[in-house]
Amino acid sequence: MRLTLSLLLTSLALPGWASEGTRVQVTGEIIDTWCYYSGVMGGPDAVVGSAHHTCALWCSAGGIPVGLLAEDGTVYMVLKIAQDDASASGDTQLSLAAHTVTADGMLYERDGQNYIVVNEVVSDADIENRTHEDYGTIPSFSFPEPK
Amino acid sequence: MMRKLGMLFALVAAPVAAQDFSEGSNAKSWNLYAEVPAKFEARVVDVLCELTGDCSDDCGAGSRQMGLVRTADDVLVLAMKNSQPAFTGASEELAPFCNQIVEVDGLMLEDEDLGASNVYLVQRIKSADADWIKANKWTKKWAAKYPEAKGKGPWFRRDPRIKEIIGIEGYLGLGLEEDATYAEENF
Repeated sequence: MRLTLSLLLTSLALPGWASEGTRVQVTGEIIDTWCYYSGVMGGPDAVVGSAHHTCALWCSAGGIPVGLLAEDGTVYMVLKIAQDDASASGDTQLSLAAHTVTADGMLYERDGQNYIVVNEVVSDADIENRTHEDYGTIPSFSFPEPK
Repeated sequence: MMRKLGMLFALVAAPVAAQDFSEGSNAKSWNLYAEVPAKFEARVVDVLCELTGDCSDDCGAGSRQMGLVRTADDVLVLAMKNSQPAFTGASEELAPFCNQIVEVDGLMLEDEDLGASNVYLVQRIKSADADWIKANKWTKKWAAKYPEAKGKGPWFRRDPRIKEIIGIEGYLGLGLEEDATYAEENF
């Protein structure tokens, strides 16, 4: 009984949930997750691609998590890209805002979220999603009127 | 002993998912479709460290995404946003409390259709016996980091990295010619 209780208490005291993860290769768009999840700027189709490129830069530079929005609609929160572990306002993720990429990395799932540690950006197709043709720019002030 | 053990198991197995984290919250609404006020105690973690064991002594000092492992149910909540309406995240607010137990108050986003679950906008933080502080330090830290960008207007119009990218790729990210066409058609 003491052993059982000891094992239980030991398991409760383990720090973190560090695990091996699962190797994945995902193709999708590097998105601004706050605008996507919150709806603060409009529906999910409007806050991706060229319409939202400038806002995606603002949010990425501002330290909001970037995500990889896969073709099936799954969002993977990006925690690291190659050697750059600056997932809050980092240079690498900033340079990929709104780009469609294929990423090879490790997937970690916890409490309803998918997190990805990208080992390699296998391909970068730049911006493919020309959403400004349907939505203009989101938000509209992200493209200032030329002087 | 058996009774104590039974109580311990009952405590562990309690249906904490049913717990209402909005109780006692003074979070201000952002009028978001999926927002739910939430005040809870949590351990502040570097998410990369928590999930993979790739750790840094100071949780990255604001450069890594931060999470909150809730005391009540051990759920990892991703802190996505601070309290400033200025396109700013929560890492700079939480990193000073790396691996500490704090109380937080803010808005949880729960939107099953989009997959938003356990993601959070933190508005206030309370550490131990200290008073509540507002999670609104990001823009001051940015200003200290980029003194050369001092000027009028919001930070995101003056940020050197953003200006450089827009200067090359344009606001649409498709090149300056596409920007010119868009401006001609829309202004």
